[in-house]
Amino acid sequence: MVTETNTHVSAIKIEDLTVAYRDKPVLWDVDLDVPAGVLMAVSGPNGAGKTTLIKSILGLIKPVAGQVQVFGMSYRQNRKTVAYVPQKSSVDWDFPTDVLDVVLMGRYGHLGWIKRPGKKDKDLAKEALDKVGMLHLSYRQINQLSGGQKQRVFLARALVQDAMVYLMDEPFQGIDAVTERTIIGLLKELRSLGKTVLVVHHDLQTVKEYFDRIALLNIRLIVAGAVDDIFTDENLKKTYGGLKTF
Amino acid sequence: MTTPQVEVLLIAVMVAACCSLPGVFLVLRGEAMATDAISHSILFGIVIAFLIVKDISSPFLLVGAALTGVLMVAIVEIITNTKLVREDASIGLVFPFLFSVGVILIAKKIGNVHIDTDAVLLGEIAFAPFDRLVIYGYDLGPKALYVLSGIFILNVLFITIFYKELKLSTFDPGLSTTLGFPSKVIHYCLMAIASLTAVGAFDAVGVVLVVALMIVPAAASYLLVEKLYLMIVVSLIIALVSSVSGFFIATQMDISIAGTISVTAGLCFVGIFFFAPRRGIIFLIAKKTRQKLDFAHLMLLVHISNHEKLQERYNENNVREIYKHLNWERIYTSTVIHMAINRGTVVDNKGVLSLSNKGKQHVIETIMK
Repeated sequence: MVTETNTHVSAIKIEDLTVAYRDKPVLWDVDLDVPAGVLMAVSGPNGAGKTTLIKSILGLIKPVAGQVQVFGMSYRQNRKTVAYVPQKSSVDWDFPTDVLDVVLMGRYGHLGWIKRPGKKDKDLAKEALDKVGMLHLSYRQINQLSGGQKQRVFLARALVQDAMVYLMDEPFQGIDAVTERTIIGLLKELRSLGKTVLVVHHDLQTVKEYFDRIALLNIRLIVAGAVDDIFTDENLKKTYGGLKTF
Repeated sequence: MTTPQVEVLLIAVMVAACCSLPGVFLVLRGEAMATDAISHSILFGIVIAFLIVKDISSPFLLVGAALTGVLMVAIVEIITNTKLVREDASIGLVFPFLFSVGVILIAKKIGNVHIDTDAVLLGEIAFAPFDRLVIYGYDLGPKALYVLSGIFILNVLFITIFYKELKLSTFDPGLSTTLGFPSKVIHYCLMAIASLTAVGAFDAVGVVLVVALMIVPAAASYLLVEKLYLMIVVSLIIALVSSVSGFFIATQMDISIAGTISVTAGLCFVGIFFFAPRRGIIFLIAKKTRQKLDFAHLMLLVHISNHEKLQERYNENNVREIYKHLNWERIYTSTVIHMAINRGTVVDNKGVLSLSNKGKQHVIETIMK
């Protein structure tokens, strides 16, 4: 295994993280260091705890042991540096609102309590919509969007958070090829701006093309590091129990 | 109208207005049935608080009873979190218990006060003007009106001040929490507001009809408009219309006012359910039929265009034969042919159909797409 030099900055540092439902561990003593400025995939079989890992970083799930730090601080202290893109199935798309309004929600964290979004926030939201190619649909009712468009809206909402770290839960699930290319293009752009992107990713075919790092997870962290070094048949077998080969 | 009648009307309007506001968020959160649970369990709180303060319209009674609603929500959550019982079942466990204890306490401890079990279920709005606010000998009107106005103002303030937070935590509770607006906290605030509203409305409409006034206007408004703030405004309007019209119908027919208001609200909903533009049943059926006909029209054009070569068109594109080739009903086929001729896409040339220029254009455009 390649040893990291100790000089790099950790965007996310997970130490001895255990999450359990009653006595059933979902994540077991996971140590993961996500260096700043990388585009990292989190892969593993169903039930491996990928979403749980993301949610623990965000403090949405309380761990039974261990801790998570974002740039050396707890998530609560550093929440403005993190943007989260949940699975698009996690919300009700029949909610009475339009595309621009959903993207504006990404600004709420910066606004704090009570204060309403203003013109500057609207401009930022439109800029983000333009980046994901959805500006012309700003006033479209959200229940009229396709799967790919919904994912773009979520990505735009994360972009306006203007964060340092982006956590995305299966952004490529059930979307068209054009949207997938748009999204991965934007993620690579984010990386080139020095942002850190952590993506729950299922499709092992595209790992080498899309990501520079990968964490293979199956309740325990099997291995994490540069795709070129650790994305091997042997490691995949360890992760998927011989079910998947590459 | 006599003064008491005007007062009853005003109370009816205020109750409906108060209830419709938290109702919008409860409907959007899929927690409509929580209102049922809240409105039933507050009876327990009302009775206990009454036994302590001995005054049915004391503010302590209002707050105390509202806390029971929140307590109920918390107990349900604790039971659900054990994962031994599902949420719907734990709601069903908690509120009937609290409600029954409330009913037993009324029967045993409060014999001669005007809370009786009938009024508990349906309320008695007509008696509301009897309980008056009198300060230094001046009669300032029914107490209920003041209580309800207070609750209305509180609801309006809560929704306008925390509009952004309510919207976000309703649409995406996960993001709301990660951005620093804990959705649990907002959830409990909303439940507290709903409980307080239910307590305020209790005297007038009882525990059952509160549910109608909270849910029906919001559900109807959801079918009509596509923006959250419009949904709030429209549900308020529906609440006002049904309370005013319900009041007049009830006084004309000499029947229960609260009951009639619920019925008119229900009728409003039914009307909107059928006739709403975009989401009404009739519109949806018409849209489906239109889409089906449009597609049939296109299929007809494509069929004609595929067989426009000299020989076979006499057979394939024959007005009388074409239904066999398409395997359609005869009458349906002639409807589609008529539609095509009216639209000017198909020409009937002595019993043989051919495409007009417009028809050809339409086929090319659609196939190119």
